[in-house]
Amino acid sequence: MTHPKETWWVALIEVGVIINLVMVAFAYTTWLERKVLGRMQRRFGPNRAGPFGLLQPIADLVKLIRKESFFPASAHEIPYILAPILSTFTALAAFAVIPWGKGWTVHGYYIPGVVSNLPISLILIFALGSIGIYGYIVGGWASDSKYAILGSMRTCAQLVSYEVSLALSVLGVVLMGQSLNLVDIVDKQQTTVWFFIPQFVGLCVFLLGGIAETSRPPFDLPEADTELVAGYHTEYSGMRWGLFQMAEYINMIVLSSLAVTLFFGGWHFPWVPSLDKFGPIWFCLKLAILVNAFIWLRASQPRLRYDQLMRFGWKILLPAATINALVTALLVVWVK
Amino acid sequence: MSNILVWAVWIFAAFACIASAVGVVTFRNPFYSALALIGNLAALAVLYLLLGGEFVAAGQVLVYGGAVMVMFLFVIAYLGDKTDEAPWAGGPSWQIVGAVLAAAAVGTEVIVAIGSTASGSLSHSAPIARSFGSPEQIGRLFLTNHLIAFEVTSIVLLVAAVGGVVLGSHARVTEDDARA
Repeated sequence: MTHPKETWWVALIEVGVIINLVMVAFAYTTWLERKVLGRMQRRFGPNRAGPFGLLQPIADLVKLIRKESFFPASAHEIPYILAPILSTFTALAAFAVIPWGKGWTVHGYYIPGVVSNLPISLILIFALGSIGIYGYIVGGWASDSKYAILGSMRTCAQLVSYEVSLALSVLGVVLMGQSLNLVDIVDKQQTTVWFFIPQFVGLCVFLLGGIAETSRPPFDLPEADTELVAGYHTEYSGMRWGLFQMAEYINMIVLSSLAVTLFFGGWHFPWVPSLDKFGPIWFCLKLAILVNAFIWLRASQPRLRYDQLMRFGWKILLPAATINALVTALLVVWVK
Repeated sequence: MSNILVWAVWIFAAFACIASAVGVVTFRNPFYSALALIGNLAALAVLYLLLGGEFVAAGQVLVYGGAVMVMFLFVIAYLGDKTDEAPWAGGPSWQIVGAVLAAAAVGTEVIVAIGSTASGSLSHSAPIARSFGSPEQIGRLFLTNHLIAFEVTSIVLLVAAVGGVVLGSHARVTEDDARA
């Protein structure tokens, strides 16, 4: 595929816009979560700061920044400070390869619909995710606290276990899309069919693995507050804690975006190709629906026990993902 | 311009590579050593990127930097950093053995570098295709030219996995016996 060359400062502006949009999306995901959770539990949720509590995320940010950043005396200083930064960085960087539009030409300048169009963008997201784990384990270890280290042990075990199923679940999509490039996969879905129909098993495994991978309820074992106080970030406070929260929510947004991209046609609008020029709108709509589903799960499902979590990951999810990949591979070869 | 950028990134990555490698063997705390090893693998991945091996670089980060090193950190964090009680850590005799081996490796590399410079094989660059290092090409090589190596590796990994399960289940049985 050939694309017009983009000017370097256009790319730079695009990077700035996307990073800020993702951060705004993060802020309002926290608002949405509290609001939806509140409604589902028959209360109001935040409703003091601004209309419908819309200024709540900004108030929270100001609070977190002004709060004293408590620092354990025996903590290992440099890893303790770097851990939340690493987690947030990898979460934010992953969004660079997710396509959110077709690309436009404005006054002769080409604006691509993805920050960075790499041939291996899918692998890059997984690589960044596997680096992001270090933020949690290093943060837990550097805090020099029993609860934190127990929390990071759990995080580590859970993330490593579910990463395998997650990677295997997208193999079917890669086989059908014949590419590791997310832009190609989205285009392929437009010419054939959205992959959530032929890859339904893959989608289920991906979403279940994804919830576990982002440690969202009902898989929030790493920070089970009744058992572990708060998990790996027990000893963090102020904006350092805020960065860990931010990494977690942005990971959820990235994962939902990846699900939209791989299974729900990305930024395409179904059946009406002329509406594709509003790509970002459809992308955001699909993303909002998925994020809502994540929140819904949190409101309605109880947390798993640790042995249930491990058994589910290794004995149900992994075989399902493997069989799905094998069957897809056979069918792809057979149809050819 | 782009050439200068390549040099800048190369110098940065190469020095990061050496510095982190030195860090691995000089840190007293094994957790920091493991972190330095991760840094070393990441710097190597940058060097692969400079050589046009995007897939290999991503694989390096994903498999070695991600999956393998998480296990290292997991074990070190779990067992604690009891550096003083580790009898195998850096006795003087092992330091000598290590130094001799490292010197031999560096000496070999210097000889090879001088030899290939003298023979002129470094003066012109080999042409590579646009698809060099792409997932398709690597996959094709794995399943054609290097099929036997590929399959043997998978069997070795399978043996390791089965061995791990056997060792793990054995440990659990004895634990139960001890309790009974």
